[in-house]
Amino acid sequence: MEKIKVFSSFVLPCIIFLIGVIFLFGKKDYFSSFIKGARDGISSSLSLLPTMCALTVSISIFSASGISDFLVKILDPVCDFLKIPAAIFPFVLTKPLSGGASMATYENLLENYGADSFIALCASVIMASSDTVFYVLSVYFSESKIKKTRYALPCALFVFLFCVILSSILCNLFF
Amino acid sequence: MLGKCFGVISCISILYSFFVGTASNISEAIISSASKSVSLVISLMGSMALWNGILNVLKDCGVIKKLSNLLKPILKLVFPSSFKNDIATEEITACISANLLGISNAATPLALSAIKKMNERNPDKSSATADMIMLAVLGCSCFNFLPTTILAIRNAFSAEITYQLIVPIWICSGMCMILGILLCRILGKLYGKN
Repeated sequence: MEKIKVFSSFVLPCIIFLIGVIFLFGKKDYFSSFIKGARDGISSSLSLLPTMCALTVSISIFSASGISDFLVKILDPVCDFLKIPAAIFPFVLTKPLSGGASMATYENLLENYGADSFIALCASVIMASSDTVFYVLSVYFSESKIKKTRYALPCALFVFLFCVILSSILCNLFF
Repeated sequence: MLGKCFGVISCISILYSFFVGTASNISEAIISSASKSVSLVISLMGSMALWNGILNVLKDCGVIKKLSNLLKPILKLVFPSSFKNDIATEEITACISANLLGISNAATPLALSAIKKMNERNPDKSSATADMIMLAVLGCSCFNFLPTTILAIRNAFSAEITYQLIVPIWICSGMCMILGILLCRILGKLYGKN
């Protein structure tokens, strides 16, 4: 485990080193392409804000009303069986449906349980390892007017369930 | 869609709070949460700018092209019928490469044009082929090489464990990707040829 942690600490510096080398020896002016990408990054994070504002309010109402605790209590036996913390359930439910809503529930978990809690770590791994299943499938197929998606949805959802279970196993293993 | 999401979550929660008497908590939550979203987006902006810039440099200096070339022999096995008939192979490899680097706003248009091209040769145009489903499933669960957004959010919540999560995320997203590929293949066989 220690070796893996040391290895982890090398990943980001190595990428910046590579970018530095590209800036130094690249044939074109790559710094301007950095600036262009960075500008896009800023505008896309700004364009997130209106959606995030609405959904953060909605999710914090959900959390403050106590209904999330109530649901977690009901779902506790199921989650116990799957060996995942029941508290991540609101997040797991929203993750395949909407990117914005899952972001809001994710932040809610980090805030309520602390960013380094087991629950928050699991949610972080899930957040990074999966995408918004329903959104991706509908965008990919609706453009070409494909109605029968056959086994696409069950397959993607099963992989997502596997991701949820695996994340808690991995967080147990690593932290 | 999001409006309905907001409506369902908020209305049910508020009705519930009237019954159990937590309405005062909700008032506080409404007041404090709206401004929270602004401070979060601002704290994310720096890292979004940095990593988007870096990914743009990688894109402009041809790393995606090189990655595509490396991936081609592997993708031949994952998308057998597309590669056999040479349909949309460029789009598929570029799309998977972009997904691997986590540039999903570059991957989506590539995937759409790949699916469009595949559908031109599809006997039943309203039904998805095995390769289209494979592309869609990989779009949902792809190996995440640079989980920078998650690390930035964690940092905004003053987490101590940040970059240490990279390896668990690699393992989890990698295994999900492998499972997705295998499952698509097995289900494709079960559903019959297309």
